[in-house]
Amino acid sequence: MSFELNRRLAAHRPPLPTQANIDPVTASIIRGGMETICFEAATHLGRAASSPIINQSNERNACIVDAHGRLAGSAIGTPHLTFVSQMTVRYGLEMFDEFDWGPGDVFLGNDPDYGGGHLPDYNVYAPVFDESGKLLLVQCLQAHQGDTGGKDPGGFTLEATDIFTEGLAIPCLKLVHRGEHRKDVIKLVTRNNRFASFAGDLAAMISGVQYAVRLLQGLVAKWGADAIRAAINHSIDQSEKRVREVVAGWPDGVYEADVFIDHDTAGTKDIRVHVACTVAGDQLTVDLTGTDDRQSLVGVWNTFGNSRSYIMTQVVAAMDPTIVKNEGFFHAVDMLIPEGCIAQPPPNKPAALGSFHPACEITEAVCVALSAIVPDRSAPQVYKMGMPNAVIGFDPQGRMWMDQGVDSRTCDTSAVQGIDGWGSCPAALGNLLLSQVEDAESRFPIVNISREMTQDSEGAGRWRGQPGSLNSKQVTQPVMAMTWMVTHDHPLRGLCGGDDASPYSNRFRVGAPDEYRIDLSATAQLPEGSVMAYQYGGGAGFGPATDRDPEAVREDVLDEIISVARARDRYGVVFTGTVEEYDLAVDTAATRARRDAMSMAVAAE
Amino acid sequence: MGYRVGIDIGGTFTDFALLKDREVTLFKNLSTPEDRSIGVMNGLSKLAEMENLPLADFLGACDAVVHGTTIADNTLIEMNGAVTGLITTEGFRDEMEYRRGYKEDIWDLRLAPPVQITPRRRRLTVPERILHDGTVHQPLDEAAVRAQCRRLAKQGVESVAISFLFSFVNPQHEQRVAQIVAQELPGVQVSKSHEVLPRAPEYDRTSTTVVNAYVAPRVTHYLENLVRRVRDAGYAKQLMVMQASGGVMTRDYIQGAPIRVLASGPAGGVIGSAHVGTAKGHRNILCVDMGGTSYDISMVLDGAAPAVAGWNMHHRYLVGVPMVQVETLGAGGGSICHVHKGEIAVGPASAGASPGPICYGRGGSQPTITDALLMLGILSDEAVFAGGSFSLTRRGVEDAFAAIGADMGYGAEDAAFDCWRIVNANMTLGVRRITAGKGIAPQDMVMLAYGGNGPAFACTQADELGIETVLVPRASPTFSALGTLVADPRIDEERSHIAAADTLDIARVRTLWADLAARAKGYFTQAGFPADSVTARYQMNMRYPGQNWSLSFDARVTQGLDDLSFVDETLRDLAIRSFNERHMAEYGHVREDEMPEVTGIRLTTSVETPSPMVVAGFTAPPVAAAPARQRRANLGRGYEPVGIFAGPDLKPGHHVTGPAIIEESFTTIAVYPGWQARLDDAGDYRLVKLDALGVMGFP
Repeated sequence: MSFELNRRLAAHRPPLPTQANIDPVTASIIRGGMETICFEAATHLGRAASSPIINQSNERNACIVDAHGRLAGSAIGTPHLTFVSQMTVRYGLEMFDEFDWGPGDVFLGNDPDYGGGHLPDYNVYAPVFDESGKLLLVQCLQAHQGDTGGKDPGGFTLEATDIFTEGLAIPCLKLVHRGEHRKDVIKLVTRNNRFASFAGDLAAMISGVQYAVRLLQGLVAKWGADAIRAAINHSIDQSEKRVREVVAGWPDGVYEADVFIDHDTAGTKDIRVHVACTVAGDQLTVDLTGTDDRQSLVGVWNTFGNSRSYIMTQVVAAMDPTIVKNEGFFHAVDMLIPEGCIAQPPPNKPAALGSFHPACEITEAVCVALSAIVPDRSAPQVYKMGMPNAVIGFDPQGRMWMDQGVDSRTCDTSAVQGIDGWGSCPAALGNLLLSQVEDAESRFPIVNISREMTQDSEGAGRWRGQPGSLNSKQVTQPVMAMTWMVTHDHPLRGLCGGDDASPYSNRFRVGAPDEYRIDLSATAQLPEGSVMAYQYGGGAGFGPATDRDPEAVREDVLDEIISVARARDRYGVVFTGTVEEYDLAVDTAATRARRDAMSMAVAAE
Repeated sequence: MGYRVGIDIGGTFTDFALLKDREVTLFKNLSTPEDRSIGVMNGLSKLAEMENLPLADFLGACDAVVHGTTIADNTLIEMNGAVTGLITTEGFRDEMEYRRGYKEDIWDLRLAPPVQITPRRRRLTVPERILHDGTVHQPLDEAAVRAQCRRLAKQGVESVAISFLFSFVNPQHEQRVAQIVAQELPGVQVSKSHEVLPRAPEYDRTSTTVVNAYVAPRVTHYLENLVRRVRDAGYAKQLMVMQASGGVMTRDYIQGAPIRVLASGPAGGVIGSAHVGTAKGHRNILCVDMGGTSYDISMVLDGAAPAVAGWNMHHRYLVGVPMVQVETLGAGGGSICHVHKGEIAVGPASAGASPGPICYGRGGSQPTITDALLMLGILSDEAVFAGGSFSLTRRGVEDAFAAIGADMGYGAEDAAFDCWRIVNANMTLGVRRITAGKGIAPQDMVMLAYGGNGPAFACTQADELGIETVLVPRASPTFSALGTLVADPRIDEERSHIAAADTLDIARVRTLWADLAARAKGYFTQAGFPADSVTARYQMNMRYPGQNWSLSFDARVTQGLDDLSFVDETLRDLAIRSFNERHMAEYGHVREDEMPEVTGIRLTTSVETPSPMVVAGFTAPPVAAAPARQRRANLGRGYEPVGIFAGPDLKPGHHVTGPAIIEESFTTIAVYPGWQARLDDAGDYRLVKLDALGVMGFP
């Protein structure tokens, strides 16, 4: 629990020792086998778990870490989780002898100061040993839990100044010893959670990881441990090689970006994330020097493990998507994250909110910096909403319920060169299935009013962002609502001349005499019948809006994504006919004149 | 007993299976893409001729004509369905575009969006709202409905989907809107979500309804045309149509939700596999169908191929109706071999049927898996191909693999061999992904291989998976047609009802099941099946609170449709007990402190109809078959002389020890080293692994 520990956990690790030679085909077959096992473990958990954030949002991830703590194979989930799991395991590996690792053991870790992400991200992992009893692999299953036993339900405490406010921190805890559940330990863990369903979720994680270990043992029996070691070494080398090939094709130079968070939860404004991406030959270095390090900031501390992961999520997006995701990326890309800044906090800082901000601003800044080099693969893989965004109440039996607000909506879906923003979220989040009205209203005393896209909220551009959506809901019982409002003053950045996205906003008690807008954060008791309206920000644009094909603008107007007025004012496109009669046509001469006038005005500025 | 005819229309051939006294006759003729019903009528005439009957007499003597069609699939592949509009609840216009956030590839931010069947201008909303308990929160604004109909009319809409929140609990608003649409947009087809997929959540239901609306006019038109032709030719009964659920049902029933025929072709093959495999003594079967463009994988478990209604993504749209689970990999004979960033890759791009592989000699220039098989000697340019319709050529094949080899630093034959290894690995991983997903060890199954290319890979696939027995029926090239004859008439429907199991509203459950039973009774009676011939499985869907996925189990199985006496106060305990057993079996734990909830009830009804008899057993004395000739081939252990056997010459009792190649009319069976092919009393092939414990080869 120190910067020294972080340095050790992040250190480059050597290949697994093996004399075996392996051909590329066999290596890829073994790698595919490991990916399949990860897929199975994650599917098992998704089906058996109760928490909406696991089984609806699919916020869970499976990966395999090798005996040296390297990411060896991964599966579904979100990239943001994929690239952090190995760090918790590395701490566990440091304690291999002290904690008496052996076959049939299952461990749990979530401690932000011991390699973890934020507290709700429980990493359950189990070792696989070879024929001679040597550690070979560690199977991980990581998922976001609905609660962590801290001050506030859900684990997001707006005013937390240390990790202990947020809940139970677990560096490395053995849940199963040599195949036997440690019931006293599991009782302790489940006791520190508000939701009755957590016991089942934890059981599902344990059974999922045990299931994967059995499958991995089959893989070891089939190929032999040495072949698996050689296959992992080969696969990691191959990924590093391909990443370096991509980088070598980029122009040398330093590419910088600043991205700001509106404020921390105490109201300190304009929190800065600074990124410098340096390309020198085949070496990419991502340097966060210059990122805010004011120790008085509240809520905006991202764990070291997460910062590495959120950098990598955007680096991966900038690459050929077929490069295998493993430790090879970390071998090929150097990261400099200053000790003590908001991307590598000192011990005991709170961690929950930081996984949103500055985590996403780190990703966004990497994207903005790299957009100068790879415009065709630049769209920020982020979620810019504030968190928490939760509604909490009690059912007639007195049991607490919580709607975490992972509702169906659209936000942050920026354009990439050549393709408008589409769907509901960036690609990296495409495994998260959003909650539906008919599920939510069957569980919670809520009536949803709207989840529609908002006209004229797209980030304009030659390729436009997807509009944001207005999600409003009414509660039919008294509730507590918690929210942190960000991304209003500093919306998602447009790229290469495209417009920024539209801002987020949030209003409580909509339509009541005491309606109010949330500017900073809120923990509010709302009476029955209260309406909340959360305006999600849209995606940002790519390239100048006046370069957009007028026919594409016409399509958007017909689809009521943008208005006739916005088409004229922002895109410089003028029509004849009307939307109502579906006879809209581009007035070519008027459009040319309008665009000429707009570019002259820009030049004059 | 009369005739039963099964018909399956594929891209190139229309397959027929004629059942008479449990004896089955197979026949193929060319499809007629301009009007597929012509090819059907040609084939029926041929069958009548074979029976020495005039067509009218033959059709008059048919108890059933059962039909499998790919028309809905083709509509989605070509995206040329009806101009479709959607009317939905105000405030929820965009769920179709959100897709619950789903994107097919989380690593590829250049993935293009799916083509919108209902672009936003044709997704229109009206004020109305029903709550989860069915109460009307906001009445339907009928004037708004009429106004939106006028907007759809201006856009030339041909088919309208209606999907309101909680319509599966209270369908009044959808029903009223359907009436208004019929008035305002005469002649336009209407799909109501509470009829197409009466369950939560809204994206699943809406998407299924929209796809239904999109394919409905073409499917309806096609079936009407076919019904008219067979009726005019003398067929007096109802045309039966294959569904993706693996059952067949009348054309009238299909018209209610034409989407049920989507993906029904592969389902027919799986049903055929279940029938043949179980008759030969195997209840757990891995079915692999490798054709020209894809490798379809499915499983028969405990003798059945269960249909699943869940997150079925088809052609980038969610289709929530029950479907026999068939996973498709882009690995077929036409899959293209190439080098990508220093590694050999196969597919997913395919040379298709045209131009096809290089060895077809039809202008193909990219090397495919079929070309690799030719390089390996598994296929031959000396043998006739596809039933004699053409032969293969080596021209250009070797050069293409030499080019791949040059990139990898070795020769053409090694390159072809590695392509073969890669496609094998892809198929093995695909199978493992699917079996592991169900918690099934493939080595506990037998493999049944069909499709033109399936038998060429079956043994090596089985080896990889630890499977020791592979079945290759002689009928395997026309398996889908056979499947339509095997499939029983079946209706599988569900209704949502969410409630804690210990406080379940028994009267409500009884009403829901009674409604489903009445529907089923109506359709079965109309099709000529008395209600007491119907087997009814009353099923419940349950989960623990918070779980997103329900598990289904039988609450009661009855003969006939009128006995709901089991629906009483004891149902609650039965449900809790049965669900916990299922959960333990599926996920290895039970949540003792939690009360599970019911999410819906389901009724699966079927009638047993005569199926083709399958001969099993090995009573003929074992005889080693003699090869017709030899050729140089590589069956996984380097090039060597390999015996070539003519399939039509092999008889029951014959056996062939690998390495060997058996050339059938429409397929080639590769008997890999360590394997032996044996012909059973039906003349079907059983391939067995010789070194498996207790299995000895015939000398």
